[in-house]
Amino acid sequence: MSEEWLLALERTIENNVPRFDKILLDYPQIEEYAERLRRAKLNVLDNLEDYVKKTCESVEKSGGVPHLAKDKDEAREVIKEICGREGVVLFAKTNVALELGLRESLAEDGREVWETDIGEFLIQLAQENPSHIVMPALHLTKERIGTLLHDKLDASVSADSSYEELVASVRNFLFQKYVIAKVGITGANAVAADTGSVVLVENEGNIRMDTVLPRIHIAVTGIDKIVPTLEDAFLEAQVQSAYAGLYPPTYIDVTSGPSSTADIESRKVTPATGPGEFHVVLVDNGRSKANKDPELREALLCIKCGRCYFSCPVYMALGSDWVRPPYGGPTGAMWATIVNGDTRPALLCTHSGGCKVVCPVKIDIPKVLEHIKWLNPKK
Amino acid sequence: MVFKNLMNDYLPLPVDKSACSKWTNSLPNSGETILYTSYLYQLGSVFKSYAKLLERFSSVRFASRLTFLGGLVVRPKKSELERASLILNNIVSLLRESGLEFAYLYDEEPYSGALLLELGLLDEFQTYGRKLLKFFHARGIKRVITVDPHTFNALLRLRTLVNSDLDVVNYLKLVHPKKGKGRFVMHDSCLYSRYLDMGVQVRMVVQGAGVALVENRMVTAQDTSTCCGAPIESINEELSERIAGARAAKLRSVCGDILVACPLCYQNLSPFVKSVRDIAEVVS
Repeated sequence: MSEEWLLALERTIENNVPRFDKILLDYPQIEEYAERLRRAKLNVLDNLEDYVKKTCESVEKSGGVPHLAKDKDEAREVIKEICGREGVVLFAKTNVALELGLRESLAEDGREVWETDIGEFLIQLAQENPSHIVMPALHLTKERIGTLLHDKLDASVSADSSYEELVASVRNFLFQKYVIAKVGITGANAVAADTGSVVLVENEGNIRMDTVLPRIHIAVTGIDKIVPTLEDAFLEAQVQSAYAGLYPPTYIDVTSGPSSTADIESRKVTPATGPGEFHVVLVDNGRSKANKDPELREALLCIKCGRCYFSCPVYMALGSDWVRPPYGGPTGAMWATIVNGDTRPALLCTHSGGCKVVCPVKIDIPKVLEHIKWLNPKK
Repeated sequence: MVFKNLMNDYLPLPVDKSACSKWTNSLPNSGETILYTSYLYQLGSVFKSYAKLLERFSSVRFASRLTFLGGLVVRPKKSELERASLILNNIVSLLRESGLEFAYLYDEEPYSGALLLELGLLDEFQTYGRKLLKFFHARGIKRVITVDPHTFNALLRLRTLVNSDLDVVNYLKLVHPKKGKGRFVMHDSCLYSRYLDMGVQVRMVVQGAGVALVENRMVTAQDTSTCCGAPIESINEELSERIAGARAAKLRSVCGDILVACPLCYQNLSPFVKSVRDIAEVVS
């Protein structure tokens, strides 16, 4: 990897680790939340088909439209149909959308498509792969971002601009898109089976914009994101943000159906101010199969906090060259097998073991990777 | 090929066994308890360049008894054997001071099979593990004292994988050195620190002997310290070296003198640091 990568990674880890230490010190309950979350997610995996069915029923009850896609092609087709042929489509950094190749697929048909998470937006502009699951532009230094924005978006900023000036430049551009967008596509940190609610954690405020301003909100996520209750979904939101190093999260967004009002004679009317359509696309794409493998199913517990990346020497050495995005680092070496059937990244695991030490839901990642290594020569 | 060699000869490559066992002649050659080196200290550099050696040997047709290949037998460097001798004899002294009696298998000593485990060859590791267990049972061996993390881990895994009944213990859990000097940054063995719950114990042994350790949250904590790259040497040598170089740079930023607890860590970090020592070289 380049000197730039090593510098950017070092800066990130130096900022992130002490902040994470302080979070656990100030909010010790987070570790207990993580234990409860593991149990809740295992319960779902033990009864996956039932929970998928229940989630779909709950989404429907709340006025939303559930969709179940068995693979990438099915998911892309469903979403293309919802989006229609025209209009601006906004994305809120959903890893499942990247897994599906959704952004490229929608753009190929002529739609205007923009990422709204600042990191993911920068990656889109740079036409590069994300280097971290929570911080996709981790590999870009401030100086390179300044140059990128100068060349592609805003001549008033440069490599010498301040952090604040760079963020403001992106914000100004995206605001023009929020007001004309037809569709907002998000992922989900968790989907509550009992209420059909989609819970999302964020700090930027872009998810609020994406889920409220466009006429249609599509939440596309894996069936592994289902948790039994809305309470469990809040646990996942809190644990994910804490282990990502940002707690409390600035925003936790909950969406249960399309916007509505009952302010006139208590009669429920949809839409009100927000979207008139709310779709939840639950993607399988290898997850059910992985759930049947007693070792590999542990990977389905991953809450994609990205903590394991910073304890892994292979990730530090190879960055996004190790595993095909969106899932990278140690968790990506597991997920490459689940969603792409690719067992090769696991072969590079050195069993350094930091990943299992830091994992909030106690996935023994090296053991899963050892299992995948075992699967590899079998094939 | 690794598996075939092990099944034929209890070694992954043809090795000059007598050179590897010359470090002692004072231990009995049989007994219920043995000191088990698994050749890690004697052959650290051989394991480091294992992929290249494998290539060399796989291009030659050889008989099943690999040790009779004369010129093709791997002979470790004299300097490495001398260093291994000092380390292993010091470990023997420390164990004896703890009141322990044990034997050593000399030229008969088999390799543990840890390499198979690290390559993910679980079926082969189990098959070889059963053969290894029969070997130990046939000699009445009930307790094995290991001297490195890879062998310790491999024998412990045999408990869950093939119901091994061997009592396996690591020497660092048995010794109480009283003398030691120097100031070091500790590069933890991944296996000791993050798999076998021995990180604190290793530090107690070192510091109890009077050796000073410099700690740094971003470099030496359980969740921030990382591997030296040795386990993937045979899969991707370039990556292994890159990881070693990066780890060495981090360690050097804390202290110029580095302490290790594993012969493979010693091998992988040595090209990137001026001063690296094994625990058994600094305590007595």
